[in-house]
Amino acid sequence: MQYDFELVGQALVVTLQGELDLHTSPEFKDKLTKLFETHSAIKDLIMDVKGLSFIDSSGLGVILGRYRVVQERGGRLFFVQANPQIKRILQMSGFQKISEFAKSTKDVLERV
Amino acid sequence: MTTTNWIKLEIPSDTRNVAFARTAVALFASQLDWTLDELEDIKVAVSEAVSNSVIHGYALQEGLVKIEASYEGPKLSIIIEDFGQGIADIEQAQEVGFTSIPEERMGLGFTFMHEYMDQVLVASEVDKGTKVTMIKRVKDVES
Repeated sequence: MQYDFELVGQALVVTLQGELDLHTSPEFKDKLTKLFETHSAIKDLIMDVKGLSFIDSSGLGVILGRYRVVQERGGRLFFVQANPQIKRILQMSGFQKISEFAKSTKDVLERV
Repeated sequence: MTTTNWIKLEIPSDTRNVAFARTAVALFASQLDWTLDELEDIKVAVSEAVSNSVIHGYALQEGLVKIEASYEGPKLSIIIEDFGQGIADIEQAQEVGFTSIPEERMGLGFTFMHEYMDQVLVASEVDKGTKVTMIKRVKDVES
């Protein structure tokens, strides 16, 4: 599992590569949580999931946990370039109600 | 060629083995004629069941997880069994959003298993363990 974080204005862009499950999600959660704690200006969370090949409820739980912070700060959650399988599991778990799907990070950054 | 086959695996309840378990079962299942989406569904279901054994059955402590996968014709059966703390209320555990660790988990493990497999049977006894049996059939493309 690899992830990159980039702060762009008030948005945190997270690029995921690999599989997010019970084993890989705790470290990812810690890093993401620290970023939100140390950068109070972060409002929007943009998850670039093009390279995400697998996610289950363990990984989704981490993203939902950070969404709660995003919501408190009046921001929005975006998923960029989700493949059909990832999109399906996101929709099944209710993420389509609290997030937006986008084709590119650039598109989202122009909107937020 | 015979239309039946099976595998049995025993793994320690280590989070590292969750990926191994889902990949091994999906690789075995790929002997049947699934779509790529269906194979991904099987991976998610196995991942959830094994994760449940590791985090709930054994509370991230040492333990044994037994995995059996078999098929007979188009019917795939997967059994994930642990010998951990068991589930006191099986019905409640399978409710959407129910979790015994609300700050960490979404409570969607069983929901995904039910969604992605045709049938899910859960047998559990407190302090004895939990056995999850999941069945999925290859769809007849002619019908």
